[in-house]
Amino acid sequence: MPSILSLRDVVMVYPNGTRALDGITLEVQRGEFVVLIGLSGSGKSTLLRCVNRLVTPTSGTVIFDGIDVTRAKGAELRRIRRRIGMIFQQFNLVRRGSVFANVLSGRLGYRSTWRTIASRPDRADVQKAFENLGRVGIAEKAYSRADALSGGQQQRVGIARALMQQPELMLADEPVASLDPATSHSVMKYLEEINRKDGITVLCSLHFLSLARRYGTRVIALKAGKIAYDGKPADIDERRFKEIYGEDAVEVEIGPERSQPQPMSANDAALRALADDSDIGRPDR
Amino acid sequence: MAEYFTARGLPVPRELSTNPLTNWRRLLGIALTLAVISVGLQITNIDISHANPQFASRVVGQLFNWDTSILTPQNEFETFWDTAEGLMIVTIFLGIIATAFAVVVALPLSFLGARNIMTGNPITAAVYVVVRVLFTIIRSIDVLIVVIVMAVLLGIGNAAGVIALAFHNVGVLGKLYSEAIEGIDPGPIEAITATGANRFQVIWTAVLPQIVNPYISFTIYRLDTNIRLAPILGLVGGGGIGILLFQSINLFKYGAAGLIIFMIVVIVAAMDFISAQVRKRLV
Repeated sequence: MPSILSLRDVVMVYPNGTRALDGITLEVQRGEFVVLIGLSGSGKSTLLRCVNRLVTPTSGTVIFDGIDVTRAKGAELRRIRRRIGMIFQQFNLVRRGSVFANVLSGRLGYRSTWRTIASRPDRADVQKAFENLGRVGIAEKAYSRADALSGGQQQRVGIARALMQQPELMLADEPVASLDPATSHSVMKYLEEINRKDGITVLCSLHFLSLARRYGTRVIALKAGKIAYDGKPADIDERRFKEIYGEDAVEVEIGPERSQPQPMSANDAALRALADDSDIGRPDR
Repeated sequence: MAEYFTARGLPVPRELSTNPLTNWRRLLGIALTLAVISVGLQITNIDISHANPQFASRVVGQLFNWDTSILTPQNEFETFWDTAEGLMIVTIFLGIIATAFAVVVALPLSFLGARNIMTGNPITAAVYVVVRVLFTIIRSIDVLIVVIVMAVLLGIGNAAGVIALAFHNVGVLGKLYSEAIEGIDPGPIEAITATGANRFQVIWTAVLPQIVNPYISFTIYRLDTNIRLAPILGLVGGGGIGILLFQSINLFKYGAAGLIIFMIVVIVAAMDFISAQVRKRLV
């Protein structure tokens, strides 16, 4: 089966000279839950935005389901975008709008401009909006103003909005970085559910390696715009961790998803022991 | 003090390296300012020695000895709209209509003058620059000058006043509206673009809800300003109560002029209060 997403030698240099992506080549298969990790500024956000062309790469190609995203323009680009959902760290809801209107806006790619102005959504779209709000457990908030909701609820509105597109690929740019640990797990579980149940491929950037291990089927680490690691989450050991995050980094845990303490994995225990050891500062490359 | 740094081989902080009393740049600045003021006093030749205190006090007295005959039609040819209060109402509507015309033109133009909407391709970026330069040029021409030009082109009267006021306000509102668009949260634009919406849908869905309140606020602010400006327009041929005021002063009818000035003050103060209240409720 052909991969849903393939990047070939993607380079992104911003006008100010920042080399955000420096030759990224990767393939994503349908159904994967890919977690992007890396320090702030390592290129995670830029990589995600190259996929749906919110930014246009300087060179290289991005192929989504056999279509060259980097060459697409106008209506063709919009048809690609509506097949790719996206959620954001700051949720990016229209704050003054109702939750319902925000969710419905996920359908804009399927709607004529006239229907947008006249505010005349299809009956089917309205029904779908309520279904998706129900899926993320906030149907009763449909009539609230978006900015009246808590952060976790706003992110769930963001997921519902993206689901309205009936996407095949979901991009998530630090979806839980503005949320507390308990809420983070609830949002990540919705992403996990749409990945497992709906078969939507997920490409999600995260700060916490513990979340990456818990939810990802594959982890890609970026460092200064290059891929520093690509493999199974479980295979990231202390040495690789230091390669990705630098010698001074110490892994921190985001709180457990249930209230009762979870048994610490052997890997985590080893990492903690190593972090306490004063000998680990030596370079290993 | 500077020795502390030099003794240790450190550079002396800028604030400590100059003595304000011997700083020649500062002294030059002060000298230039004084020179400009003294030259200005010479050139403008401000001289109040010709003022006639007796005449002045008589005029001031007349200004408060209101001539209420201007409040009623004076002969069978005059109607309510020739009375001072009729002209005052006309003047208020001059301001309202001028604002309305300006909004209709400035609203669509403001999107073309917003950087965050127009960047991305060289053509729209060029349109942005042109529109913003246009706003600046229009704004820089004073309303009274535009009224004089319009009075020549269209004849003295309400049309000249309204069109001149509207013209000036296109520049002012266009700038204010454009800056309101530039100040919005870019997040929703990104999110709606990502759903596959077209440019128009993005503006309609992600931009409009964010600018409604600032737009209403700026419009009321300009409406307030325009109703203040409207009485002046008549002085240079723009119609409204200003014409009556101008005539009264020329005919030495200071009692009538005083009453008109009082009416203008009341209306302006009322507008000021109403506009402040409405704007406060919006924010």
